[in-house]
Amino acid sequence: MAAETPSWAQQAGQVSRLRGRAFEAICLASTSLALVSVMVLLLFVANDAFRPFEAEPALTFAIPVLPGLELFVVPVVLPAYLLVFGATLGLPVALTALYYYRRDDPAGEVAYATLGLPIVSLLVSAGVLVMFIEVLTVSELFATELALLVAVGAIYGHARLRPRKAVERLAIIIVAPVVALAGLPPAMFNDIVNGIAGLAGVGPVLTTRLFSVRELVLASPFLPVRWVMLLATVTLPVVAIFAPILARRRESREAGLALGGLSMIVAALGLVAAPALGVGSDVWIVVASVTVPPLAVYVEGVVRRREGMAGLAFPLVLIGGALAGWLLVQQVGFGMPDPWLDWGFLTNAHSRFSAEKTGIYPPLVGSVMMLFAIVILIFPVGVGAAIYLEEYAPSQGLAGKFVTLIEINIGNLAGVPSVVYGLLGLALFIRFLSMPVGAIIVGALAVGLLILPIVIISAQEAIRAVPDSHREASYGMGATRWQTIRDVVLPQAFPGILTGTILALGRAIGETAPLLMIGMPAIVRRAPDGFFATGSAMPRQIFRWSKEFDPLYRHGVLAAGVVTLLVVLLIMNGTAIILRNKFQREETA
Amino acid sequence: MSQERLTNQDETVSSGENSADPTSEPLVDSAIEVPGKNATSTGRTILRAQSFDVYYDDVQALQDVNIEIPEKQVTAMIGPSGCGKSTFLRSINRMNDLIDAARIEGELYFDSKDVYDEDVDPVALRRKIGMVFQHPNPFPKSIFDNVAYGLRVQDMDVDEQQVVEESLKKAALWDEVKDQLDKSALDLSGGQQQRLCIARAIAVDPEVILMDEPASALDPIATSKIEDLIDDLAEDYTVVIVTHNMQQAARISDKTAVFLTGGELVEFDDTEKIFENPEHQRVEDYITGKFG
Repeated sequence: MAAETPSWAQQAGQVSRLRGRAFEAICLASTSLALVSVMVLLLFVANDAFRPFEAEPALTFAIPVLPGLELFVVPVVLPAYLLVFGATLGLPVALTALYYYRRDDPAGEVAYATLGLPIVSLLVSAGVLVMFIEVLTVSELFATELALLVAVGAIYGHARLRPRKAVERLAIIIVAPVVALAGLPPAMFNDIVNGIAGLAGVGPVLTTRLFSVRELVLASPFLPVRWVMLLATVTLPVVAIFAPILARRRESREAGLALGGLSMIVAALGLVAAPALGVGSDVWIVVASVTVPPLAVYVEGVVRRREGMAGLAFPLVLIGGALAGWLLVQQVGFGMPDPWLDWGFLTNAHSRFSAEKTGIYPPLVGSVMMLFAIVILIFPVGVGAAIYLEEYAPSQGLAGKFVTLIEINIGNLAGVPSVVYGLLGLALFIRFLSMPVGAIIVGALAVGLLILPIVIISAQEAIRAVPDSHREASYGMGATRWQTIRDVVLPQAFPGILTGTILALGRAIGETAPLLMIGMPAIVRRAPDGFFATGSAMPRQIFRWSKEFDPLYRHGVLAAGVVTLLVVLLIMNGTAIILRNKFQREETA
Repeated sequence: MSQERLTNQDETVSSGENSADPTSEPLVDSAIEVPGKNATSTGRTILRAQSFDVYYDDVQALQDVNIEIPEKQVTAMIGPSGCGKSTFLRSINRMNDLIDAARIEGELYFDSKDVYDEDVDPVALRRKIGMVFQHPNPFPKSIFDNVAYGLRVQDMDVDEQQVVEESLKKAALWDEVKDQLDKSALDLSGGQQQRLCIARAIAVDPEVILMDEPASALDPIATSKIEDLIDDLAEDYTVVIVTHNMQQAARISDKTAVFLTGGELVEFDDTEKIFENPEHQRVEDYITGKFG
């Protein structure tokens, strides 16, 4: 039955596919080149930071590249501990990952999230702890939150009692937070007025003022004990976010209450359990409050959907494998490597005398504080600008042309070199506004302005992606523009805005040039204790290490710093990806 | 939120008893001649366009439209693509305001008020003239929230639960969704989504419902459900529907307006007359499929 292949089935003789194939090959080559060069760089840096191959005992053997030629022999060192960990950790993890990939796709995603969620939570709790250690006291946060609560209560109470009084409500919305947080008039205002009066030769003019709720709470002799305040300021807000989510999903108040109660109990357990484990009860309370509720909500969702439940086992495989490997290595007495990037590196400051004792803690805190300040300063501005440009700005006539010009220039601003923003920061904030040189806030402003155009553009894209039909539907039902934006556009655009902002923050955390321009010090021995304090940032510190004379700094410490920076970046981008996937799934569902 | 309400809502949407204004006199002819199910209704004119033009930049989309649309009847608008029928529909509740390039001339009265008067707030106008679009466009919210959306944005002082139930019943959707009001509206089928959009539009109790090819994206079964629904709606509301489907226009409408290329309203009369014995040769050609 060997039917003859008809002529139409053959490649048409006059059409050559050679050029197409060549083009494909070139594209493939560029992709591989990009990937390989990045991978090689990362592996090189990671090797320097962790020194995984420098531990005794080790198997050493030589692989001849060309048989018989002694010159071309690659020496390979394989420490014994690596083999142990490979068996207990690497192999099981690889096998589970393979299983998820081949058999159970949703489980892979679940595994990714159950692993990522605790990591992100731990980082957040580390941030909270550092904030308590370096910036705020627990009672200050307690007083601030209580005052905010009072202000929000006043606003809501007014809206309930007198729902139609718009002007009154506006006044309350402005006044209540001021009275709650700053007092009337704010202390600073009094100081300024009295200062001017003092200059003019008059005594203090303003001697009385209405104290803020915050000040009253702080001055109160009945402040609760520290752990109660911790539970109230850290655990309760987290619970207040996650318990309603669970209650809504399960459609039962009891579920929400149970989650809330459980989280509170686990957090409070720290008073008993933490000392036994040798950690402070503060640490336990903060870590438990930030980790337990989100993880519980996520796990509950997975179990309820009964989809990808196998993924929940992944963290157990990972932790169990690591633990088993470690115990085994200890038992047998194999040596472990001495990585540059270890706990000491994360918690110490730079040391001039010993590369081993050098750490990145102050610039790490500085970077995180800068990020925090950037989010607070830039997010509202960027999103506000994007909303205006997309929803309000005219598109016709002369005004429309002007708006187009502005949009083009925002695009151009996104491409302005960062040094220029540094110069702007130096001229505007330090020279003109006399802000302190090298302060966290100045760095945040300069880098914030740098990423502002990126935030605006990505928020614009997210807002533009909301289908016009939804806007029309909203207008068609008699909604005003503001109602349409608030109830229809923003809820749908929010995930996109969030993703764009996180990616922009990823750029912000790595910026170095503006920090150099505004005079951020290379070496800071103490973490900044406020936003106006002098601080450093990770890239600034890394740059400094690159110029050390001692090669231990230039290779080991530098690599450890780079890896720390990259890990923070990776986690931020990972969060962005998880958020995007999550919201995309909800949209299509 | 109260300042967002318009200054003169009451004028705009007055009950229509102002016979002092000669322009709002009922159309006597239509009241007598309208056949069929709604013949008993008064046939009072609720919408009236007079020398109405719409331009998009320099392109004229509608020219000199004169039409009187009777209350509580179904008025269909047919015509080839690009003839301006959708433009006219969107002019009625000023949805064209959202397009910066659009510009209008002439008058368009709702009750006895020109909706393009300077003291008319389009938001208030749209609270009286609801709209259903070509593609079902429920919000990515729950079914309940979709229907309650209008009540919430209009700050209406009503029992949400009850209004949502009534609207869904009127839209013939209640039995299908009563157990899943908390589910996302996007989980519904296309036909259900479109009925949800209709329920959403009637929840705020408008006087006129504009429908822009509401069934063109649906399969025949869903389409016939929508058509039945439109029939029922005409008891309480004035329905103005744009459609490409001439059989549909013939089935459901009391009056039909034929727009032809160039944005011209060529003929407007009882549906029966348009389909059986149109005055204009061009209309006959269009309806019999010789053109368009």
